[in-house]
Amino acid sequence: MTSDPYDLVEKAIDEGSKLGAKYIEARYEKLGGNVSILKNGVPELGGINRSRGIGIRVLKDGGVGFASFNEMTKEEMKIAVAFATKMAELSGKRRTKKIKFSDEEVHEAKYESKGVNGKRPFEVNPEEKMERLLSIDKIVSELQTGAVIPFRYFFMNDQTQKKLIVTNEGARIESEIDLLQLFGLIVAVNPNTGSKEQTFIQKGKAGGLEALDFWNINDYIENKAKTLGKIVTESKEAPKGTIDYVVGPNVIGICAHENTGHPSEADRILGREGAQAGESYLNQEMIGERIGSEHVTIIDDPTLEGSYGFYLYDDEGIKAGPRYLHRKGIFEEMLHNRESAAFMETQSTAAARAIGFNREPIPRMANTYLAPGSFSFEELTEDIKLGVFMNDFTEWNIDDRRYQSKYVGLEAYLIENGEIKHMVRRPVLETTTPKLWGSVDAVAKKDLLEFDAATCGKGDPMQGAPVYHGGSFMRIRNVEVR
Amino acid sequence: MRLMVEKTDVQSILDLTSKKLVDLGFEDYIINTERSNRSQLRFSDSQITIAKNWASMNVDIYAAKDSKTVATFFEDISKETITSTLESLLKLANALPPNQNYYGISDGPFSYPNIEFLVDPEFLDFHDQSIDKVETAIRAAENEGAKRSAGVLVWDVTETHILSSRGAEAKSNSTAFDFNIRSFVDEKSSGYGSTVGRLSSKLDFEGAGKEAGKIAKMSTGGVNGEPGKYNVIFSPKVGANIVGATPEVANPFSVEIGQSWLKDKIGEKIGPDFISVYDDALLPNGLGSKIFDDEGHPTGRSLIVEDGVLKGFIHNTSTAKKAGTTSTGNAGLVAPENSNIFFEPGEHSFEELLEITKDKPTLFITNTWYTRFTSYTDGIFSSIPRDGMFLVEKGEISQPVRELRISDTMPNIFKNIKAMSKENKQIKKWEPPSYPIFIPYILIEDINITAATN
Repeated sequence: MTSDPYDLVEKAIDEGSKLGAKYIEARYEKLGGNVSILKNGVPELGGINRSRGIGIRVLKDGGVGFASFNEMTKEEMKIAVAFATKMAELSGKRRTKKIKFSDEEVHEAKYESKGVNGKRPFEVNPEEKMERLLSIDKIVSELQTGAVIPFRYFFMNDQTQKKLIVTNEGARIESEIDLLQLFGLIVAVNPNTGSKEQTFIQKGKAGGLEALDFWNINDYIENKAKTLGKIVTESKEAPKGTIDYVVGPNVIGICAHENTGHPSEADRILGREGAQAGESYLNQEMIGERIGSEHVTIIDDPTLEGSYGFYLYDDEGIKAGPRYLHRKGIFEEMLHNRESAAFMETQSTAAARAIGFNREPIPRMANTYLAPGSFSFEELTEDIKLGVFMNDFTEWNIDDRRYQSKYVGLEAYLIENGEIKHMVRRPVLETTTPKLWGSVDAVAKKDLLEFDAATCGKGDPMQGAPVYHGGSFMRIRNVEVR
Repeated sequence: MRLMVEKTDVQSILDLTSKKLVDLGFEDYIINTERSNRSQLRFSDSQITIAKNWASMNVDIYAAKDSKTVATFFEDISKETITSTLESLLKLANALPPNQNYYGISDGPFSYPNIEFLVDPEFLDFHDQSIDKVETAIRAAENEGAKRSAGVLVWDVTETHILSSRGAEAKSNSTAFDFNIRSFVDEKSSGYGSTVGRLSSKLDFEGAGKEAGKIAKMSTGGVNGEPGKYNVIFSPKVGANIVGATPEVANPFSVEIGQSWLKDKIGEKIGPDFISVYDDALLPNGLGSKIFDDEGHPTGRSLIVEDGVLKGFIHNTSTAKKAGTTSTGNAGLVAPENSNIFFEPGEHSFEELLEITKDKPTLFITNTWYTRFTSYTDGIFSSIPRDGMFLVEKGEISQPVRELRISDTMPNIFKNIKAMSKENKQIKKWEPPSYPIFIPYILIEDINITAATN
């Protein structure tokens, strides 16, 4: 017989305590979402997602067990708690290093981040959503750039997620968050040469359909498509040798995420992601060491209002705030959950996130960015003899210790004697993390700070987490380009 | 350990849902239900870090009304939610313009193939052996010289039902096992091993651990490699990720959204004569093996590449009719989906591959990750080797090397395949490919290798 999920959460805590769990948390999540898919102007699908379930996590005898279920019955709950407890006990008994959770302050709180009235995901009718996508597609397909854009794929997803986390230590956190996400892939082709260039589009933020206006989505898409057209019709070969780079917010954002955010995740440093997302070139002994220049302060802050990675309490009920991963070039803080914090004899930095009721909370980024400096954009470029201004990137990758990365420029321009000149094609920034951050000698001011949305991959099963990354503009000196 | 407990009657959900869809006026519909019980052991630093279990029941529905196509995915399976959501689905369909790419779903009734080894009769006994199996692999890695290991073991039992408005009605049971281990001698010296399949008796935990430990040990003392042109020998894990990326985009959906370099290539020679590749849903012990696709159409074996020539794409009913052909039994809810990708093995031993390339600078690459594309339509990509990577000199594996990147194009990779080993291995990784791939060791000539500048 189906039970009230809120009641099941409370009973799960009692059940775990009866079975001797040192720690038990029960997390109920209910998600309602809608999706619209448009392929080359044709509405391929309208979709509705309805999901709910409870995840149980138990610490007992130095081991951890997790179980989830989506059939809301007492029997299912009892089986899940019994499994999580028994497996925690069995695996814990075989461990030589017992798992502990750090002692943390317990909170009871409610918070929300909803779309504006009338624009929440379930309040906007499906016609309007598809019309917004169709209007975006029309802009791209009718644009006169000298190039054609024969491949256009857009995907919009909105959702409302309600969550309740309860622990046997007394934490109780309720939240309700609306989220809007827009994805796209467009490819421009030069009809004379056959030269092609692609761009992925990802926009996302906490809120409802008002986000489309916040992003000025039609102008944004038009600019993206125009830029692609220029790249395939006008760009020239990128310079090689030792040159300077000025990079834009989206490029800084991906560098902050990949070269600093990931290696600062404490579970990676402890080897817990060794077989999946990898480990880290950083370690606990390196806290306090210089990684970058004094211009490099990288912050991860989940509490940015309206952000794609927004939360006020993490999925272990810990109160969140900004984490200074690097401050003035020095490695300062890690992204911790309670498990990694206990191993390192420190405190959680409220980084525990689970992307659904059926996932375990692990250390994750939320909104990672390079703190702005004091320079104007013109000051960054004015003394560069030969360089590249890379405003956006296309292909990128990084090794699994997060030491050697490659970013290929999308919208990029030659800088010559302090002036921005013609577009250059696919300049490559392929260097090491210490070289990258160590070569930054100027960062632009706060009013140029921007964020982009991304989906961060980690965990097993994979947990694709919504995150922001960003920055203003930064200058990187003396990069060798082969 | 935990067993599957029947709670919600699947037939009642199928009856409720199909009746409601008919009452609402949908002409076509497909209902898929999946009840599964999946368990996982994750380990790192050679110890179990967490044990997990997922009891899951979900329902997928695809429906069409006046060529307007809609879908819904339920993990909230209360009758009230199903009923109200289907009513919302009708409103959604009424609000949409017609999908001009929709040509209907597959017409039944159907008879379905028999596939060997879909269900492990010893599945229920596996729970109590699971921790020992993991520890067997960890000890095997240690015996080869590994200091610590991380990885994951997953085992799963799934019951699937399908019911369509066009006469598809079937049920299928399957089990699955997926184990991988990454072993380290030090922070930069690592190796990877895996074993996957439908039957626990066919998994080789000791072999996976031994492979991971051996490669980790061999990779100690690695030096930074030099960029340049190399012949490369890809292990099956690397081949699945990079060579397997070509058959993975041999479908009309990927072509139409600009995510494939195979547009207008059917009939063209894209590789040497000895390359043949299939999508094969009927492979015994294949993790992608299944008797029906998401339309309830029977699955089969589809030729993608024959003797180096791209012969065709996989299809669902709509993409097939649009292309003037018939479904290959590869329907997903939106786009065609692969089952198992199968590369016909070559005729050489691994040692012969080393011998063939002995006169050219050669790298043996055992694993890779983070393959990303500058251009899908031209196949321009780069990928970062991880775990052991070695120079091959005078026909033998020699110096371990590090910090290199494969930066080339997919057409080059396929065209420059020189030789393949005799046996292939089933690969399913945390990273792409999304589908299981059966693939051998592959020798490829003249591949561009880059490195980061300091």
